[in-house]
Amino acid sequence: MNKIEEFDSIVVGAGHAGCEAGLALARTGNKTLLLTISLDAIAFLACNPSIGGTAKGQLVSEVDALGGEMGINADKTAIQIRMLNRGKGPAVQSLRMQADKNAYHIEMKKTLEKEKSLFVRQGEAISIEIDGDKKIVTTKLGLKYSAKSVVFATGVYLKSETIVGKCREKTGPNGFKNSSLLSDSLKKLGITLFRFKTGTPVRLHARGVDFSKMEIQPGDEEKYSFSYITEKYPENKAVCYLTYTTPKTHEIIRENLDKAPAISGEIKGVGPRYCPSIETKIVRFADKERHQLFLEPEALDTQELYLQGFSTSMPADIQLEMTRSVVGLENAEIMRDAYAIEYDCIDSTQLKPTLELKTIPGLFFAGQINGTSGYEEAAAQGIVAGINASLFNRGKDQIVLKRSDAYIGVLIDDIVTKGTNEPYRMMTSRAEYRLLLRQDNADMRLTEIGRKVGLVSEERYQKYLKKKELITQIEKELSQKVKVDEKLRKLCKENEENVPKESAKLCDLMKRNNIDIFKISKTYNLFRECQKDILEVVNTKIKYEGYLKQQQEDVEKMLANEKLKIPEDFDYKTQKGLRAEAVEKLDKIRPLNIGQASRISGVSPADISVLSVLIKKR
Amino acid sequence: MLKKEVLPRYMYFGKLKLEDNVFEECLMVYFKAPFSYTGEDIVEFQVHGGVLLAQKVLEKCIEVGARMAEPGEFSKRAFLNGKITLDKAEAIVGEINAEAEAELRSSLQVTNGTLAAKILEEQDLLKTLLAEIEVGMDYPEETEELKLKLDISKRLEEIRDSNKKIIDQSKSAAYLRNGINVALVGKTNVGKSSIMNALLGENRAIVTDIKGTTRDSIKESFMFEGIKINLIDTAGIRQTEDVVENFGIEKSKETLNQADLILFVIDGSEKLSEEDEQIKKLVKGKNCLTIINKSDKKRVVKKQENELEISALFETNIDDLKHRILRSVLNEEIDLNGLVLTNQRQVEILKTAQEILENILSTKDASLDVLSMLIKKLWMTFGKITGNTENEDIIDLIFSKFCLGK
Repeated sequence: MNKIEEFDSIVVGAGHAGCEAGLALARTGNKTLLLTISLDAIAFLACNPSIGGTAKGQLVSEVDALGGEMGINADKTAIQIRMLNRGKGPAVQSLRMQADKNAYHIEMKKTLEKEKSLFVRQGEAISIEIDGDKKIVTTKLGLKYSAKSVVFATGVYLKSETIVGKCREKTGPNGFKNSSLLSDSLKKLGITLFRFKTGTPVRLHARGVDFSKMEIQPGDEEKYSFSYITEKYPENKAVCYLTYTTPKTHEIIRENLDKAPAISGEIKGVGPRYCPSIETKIVRFADKERHQLFLEPEALDTQELYLQGFSTSMPADIQLEMTRSVVGLENAEIMRDAYAIEYDCIDSTQLKPTLELKTIPGLFFAGQINGTSGYEEAAAQGIVAGINASLFNRGKDQIVLKRSDAYIGVLIDDIVTKGTNEPYRMMTSRAEYRLLLRQDNADMRLTEIGRKVGLVSEERYQKYLKKKELITQIEKELSQKVKVDEKLRKLCKENEENVPKESAKLCDLMKRNNIDIFKISKTYNLFRECQKDILEVVNTKIKYEGYLKQQQEDVEKMLANEKLKIPEDFDYKTQKGLRAEAVEKLDKIRPLNIGQASRISGVSPADISVLSVLIKKR
Repeated sequence: MLKKEVLPRYMYFGKLKLEDNVFEECLMVYFKAPFSYTGEDIVEFQVHGGVLLAQKVLEKCIEVGARMAEPGEFSKRAFLNGKITLDKAEAIVGEINAEAEAELRSSLQVTNGTLAAKILEEQDLLKTLLAEIEVGMDYPEETEELKLKLDISKRLEEIRDSNKKIIDQSKSAAYLRNGINVALVGKTNVGKSSIMNALLGENRAIVTDIKGTTRDSIKESFMFEGIKINLIDTAGIRQTEDVVENFGIEKSKETLNQADLILFVIDGSEKLSEEDEQIKKLVKGKNCLTIINKSDKKRVVKKQENELEISALFETNIDDLKHRILRSVLNEEIDLNGLVLTNQRQVEILKTAQEILENILSTKDASLDVLSMLIKKLWMTFGKITGNTENEDIIDLIFSKFCLGK
């Protein structure tokens, strides 16, 4: 028999979830094997060459605050930086960076290689077996590894097939090998699988693009970073372009709909509504005259451009015809074809909010295998699965981030409680407490948690403490009263505000519509040494105080139910008084507490009342 | 409401102030925790019989900060506080379910009616507004060219106005449930009893003992256009030195105060007497219809404000009178056939919604994320009536309305 190499943990897959899981495990002292189908696919940006965006930017900051790598890696490799939603309020501001796709992969690979307890290994996992407390993973080449815990982060590779017109290939993204056997092994463990679909657009050579016909989209002049430990702000090095489809594009697509696998029924997998192919958009929104497209650079040292908004699975020749009908792309030269990809993922309601499989302790799942989409969503789950696998190895209580703690909490609660029937994308509208879950306070929300599980380094922690102290100090200074003098009169008049009748607190002045911390700091010569982003944090805290308090009250109400734990072995089926539908749903999801139970669709408030009585009765 | 300190488990007699100058006699007992049904501090009120009075006391409690209990909540609290033994738990579960079902049934009734359609419509308007705000925040790049015209205030004002109408209509719905209280007032021998008899006619409802109203009055009811009309004959109102009779007058005044409509009866064949003038002063400013009785005789009395000539003796214009009674109380615009009952809980929810609406409308220059939070709160509040509170609905609408994505 083969010799079995022993580890504390095995992570299957080295995409955005796998990298975070592997690093979290290794950094908390676990001897960890990171298995990947290809070393060249580590942290591969298979679709958009960008990190962040609405709600996703928040996820990246949260991963960073917990001690993850995505934010740092994005900061290192960014080539264009933009803050989205400026002017719509602090809750929904999100950072988005165009990343150099090659550099992103290389930098992450370097980081993995540096980690002394992390063993990065190319190999295709084909089976998982449970042997008592041990989990044994076998590779295609017959190598066997055992560990106390395993994190599955296989992305879209399970039995994946790419589709371009009539051409269907059993392959992973971008022509990488797929994983053809592991799904069956998972099925044998009693895991229910779904089949999902997603897609990616064409990549073009820059020389075939007439940029003069397009609108240029430069990065922001202001400096930003995802990670609060990044010392040097990333610089803008590239621009994006905006262009549009034409009536001709729509005509070509309509004429060739019979050849479109997404429309003809050739593709059976469930695709995401927020990421439809261009043919789907034209069918569903027939009255729209044109669709907006963005050209994004794939990397600095390549001519390749990503055509955002033009995802398709049309036959290759039609793809060229379609592309050349777009404004400015009349002479376009396709370098890589667009394709749709179908893959196996698991029914995420089989997981606990810790991302551990309910039925088998020590098996964790993270990323697209859970039916989510997006690099950021993957990384968010990866770090949580990694942390919890590490806590599992040490026999400690695992962590659950609450909906009021983080977008990560919302994301995981949604997929394990409600499940998803299409690839799940994070959106700010999914977070009911989003005024509290801002990008600017991610570190304040989560650093302590990351520190407690041992993932936040001393350096990072000290930096956090310093920032926290500074915020307190600024707030203290702002609570001082100022006299009604020439300075104050000038400040008020310049900003069209009424001059207060008697001396007023600076923080109260700040609550006025036209006055903010920057104007105060200028008038009273305060906080001159202070970083702008820290002032921004205080500004939001004070200006939004009333609303933040309102949300905090809502949170308290929610938490009261969250504290009512449901015993793990609670037998719903023998309880009298619960409706049959509720029994079925509750038994399937097995919520940890009354709060989670109340979010299951099909469970009514009366069921929740009954349930809380029944639990007390035990 | 209480000025003095009260001792637990003592019964107090007092007057509950319902409105300015409107008091209701009641008994009150204070149960101090844990010696109460639920194990918590509890105050019980005992009021005179009749749904309307209990309802008014309830409304007053809500006005000063109480909320309606959820289905089975009292029993649930009692159980959770250990006041009820384990073997009763299942009975409580049954109770919760039964009450929830009853509530569901009553809300189903609502969803069948025009009122419900209206509430659903309003909630849908909010959902659309939310989807439009949210899509801009989740897809800033895709929606830049859409240049959504949000008109938030204008749209919310429309909802506020129509919501106000629903609340007013709900008041009318309460009339449907409890009947309209009509007080007859006039000097002796003016023909009040004949008018009562003429109105009651063959539609005379079961004569009820008067609950919660003055013992010196006679109350009888009849049905008209599906609505119960309670006629209350007041004792003669006349200033007197007699203490006992004075008490009767106080009662009569109270009846007048609580009536939805006053029928002030005068004899058309005589000049207004001093007594008539006194009563006229008393009903001034109230919802009052002046009945010129004895229209069979030559009219002497001058034209009165809001009057109707009838002859109780020959039963002329009695149907007109019935219509006038109904229209004087129920809003003219209300289509009685389309009107739907709502329960007190639902009315309270709408009032809460109205407060949130006013709050949003008075908030100037709030950023979109804050506005969205407040509008969502409003939408959720409506959802307590319609049952539609799934956040996913908004997301669904975003994707069905807008073309998004890479």
